[in-house]
Amino acid sequence: MKRKLAGKQGNRPLISGRDSNGYFLPESLAEAVNLLGQAGEGLKVLAGGTDLLVDLYERLIEVEGWLDLGLIPELREIKVRAEQIEIGAMVTHAQLEKSENIKKTLPVLAAAAAEIGSPQIRNRGTIGGNVVTASPAGDLLAPLIAYNAVLELVGKDGVSRVPAGDFFCGPKQTIMKRGQLLSRVLIPRPSSGTIGCWIKIGKRKALVIASISLALVVRLAKGGVIADIRACFGAVAPTPLEIKAVRRLAGGKRLEQLDFSQVGELAAAGIAPIDDLRGTAAYRRNVARELLIQALEKVQSTGGEIIADQADC
Amino acid sequence: MEKVKVRLTVNGNSFCLEVGAKERLLDTLREQLRLTGVKEGCSIGECGACTVILNGEAVNSCLVLTGQLDQSEVVTVEGLAQDGRLEPLQQAFIDHHAVQCGFCTPGMLMSAKALLMKDPHPGREQIKTALEGNLCRCTGYQQIIEAIESLTGPERE
Ligand SMILES: Cc1cc2nc3c(=O)[nH]c(=O)nc-3n(C[C@H](O)[C@H](O)[C@H](O)COP(=O)(O)OP(=O)(O)OC[C@H]3O[C@@H](n4cnc5c(N)ncnc54)[C@H](O)[C@@H]3O)c2cc1C
Ligand code: FES
Ligand code: FES
Repeated sequence: MKRKLAGKQGNRPLISGRDSNGYFLPESLAEAVNLLGQAGEGLKVLAGGTDLLVDLYERLIEVEGWLDLGLIPELREIKVRAEQIEIGAMVTHAQLEKSENIKKTLPVLAAAAAEIGSPQIRNRGTIGGNVVTASPAGDLLAPLIAYNAVLELVGKDGVSRVPAGDFFCGPKQTIMKRGQLLSRVLIPRPSSGTIGCWIKIGKRKALVIASISLALVVRLAKGGVIADIRACFGAVAPTPLEIKAVRRLAGGKRLEQLDFSQVGELAAAGIAPIDDLRGTAAYRRNVARELLIQALEKVQSTGGEIIADQADC
Repeated sequence: MEKVKVRLTVNGNSFCLEVGAKERLLDTLREQLRLTGVKEGCSIGECGACTVILNGEAVNSCLVLTGQLDQSEVVTVEGLAQDGRLEPLQQAFIDHHAVQCGFCTPGMLMSAKALLMKDPHPGREQIKTALEGNLCRCTGYQQIIEAIESLTGPERE
């Protein structure tokens, strides 16, 4: 471990309470977990810093020290295996957006990453930070749920795996416990008949926080029968939200057998939107319905083109 | 908080710096190294005035801690001109009237430079994407895009 703590406390192996003022750069996950386990609330896990440093500047958080994950090589890796795709928590949005493997196997995730913030934000911001921040408008969350991702958490009590759909419990709230780190995101490798679509609506093209977004992933079995369909919305509810009724209605049918406006109604009814400066609740219900219809039409007509539409509120 | 030791190359020069654990790259560049071409606009990643090139990529220096950067390489707008001669990108900004008040200019130049380092012949869409994170309140962007296009040669299909 590189321990960047100068001065009189330089060699203290433990940090706690008011002593936890430093900068820690562990070189392995085990070390990171160990350090985090000994630390108090003031030690912040630092990934790309694009959420944390805004919070620090706006004095929303008290920071007594940093646990920087930047030197742990395994967290930066994307691995494509026969069964699943494994994405390290420190993989940046730019890496996701540019990776040929991700574009090929998980195009909806790649499209969502490509639209985050700006190039500067995408070069620093990470998938791990996006997940743990758990903003209702976090753009990677809906695609991860739509792809059935599993989040791997590591703490001093070992490793646990949680489906992304069970991880979020409110705006900026997750089931992760103090002392745990997100190590990897594991995504079952989609079968060859999987098609999908990503749509994000915001007030302008770049640097927007979504007022609503939709990740649609459809797995077609032989003969075009829908083996699985996940319609997952962002920014319409306190957490990213899969409309499970769509699965029940559409599963086992063919796309052309579906009444798309009926499916769209499920979205309008299923979301729990709020009024805020990015749009009213009624607006969001209407848009949710129309987005799902549009996404289904696209998926049907193009076999799953990735649309990245922007519209005015 | 205590100091963190960082070895850093800035505009080709190596430095060994002691920085605060909450010190942003923006502060180190402006206060310690006196590279005041790096501008602070919004401080929260929205305006791009603080853009520098870090290990070949454009980043907002207001959203990076210097403590994160041991062994890294940073280029600021001061690193573009060589031997007293403006770099072609800077000259193009002047020739195409892409500078008015100038506050956004260093950030614009660094975002454009980061793009051109990766792809010397970007199309208009790629240029626009590269500038997504840089706001300009004066020019309306058109002249900036034209300045960059003047260097990129014919667009590839
Ligand atoms: C100008 C601007 C525009 C933005 N635009 C968008 C956008 O369009 N869409 C979008 O979704 N987001 C956007 N964001 C938000 C942000 O960039 C993303 O959420 C990003 O993915 C956060 O990742 P990070 O690595 O920077 O996180 P950090 O700021 O480093 O960390 C965020 C939080 O996660 C914790 N954390 C990080 N990694 C781990 C880990 N491995 N284990 C445990 N805890 C961890 C940190 O402790 C912290 O609480 C924007 C931000 C800015 C400043
Ligand atoms: S000052 Fe850094 S982006 Fe505005
Ligand atoms: S020239 Fe004034 S902000 Fe761009």
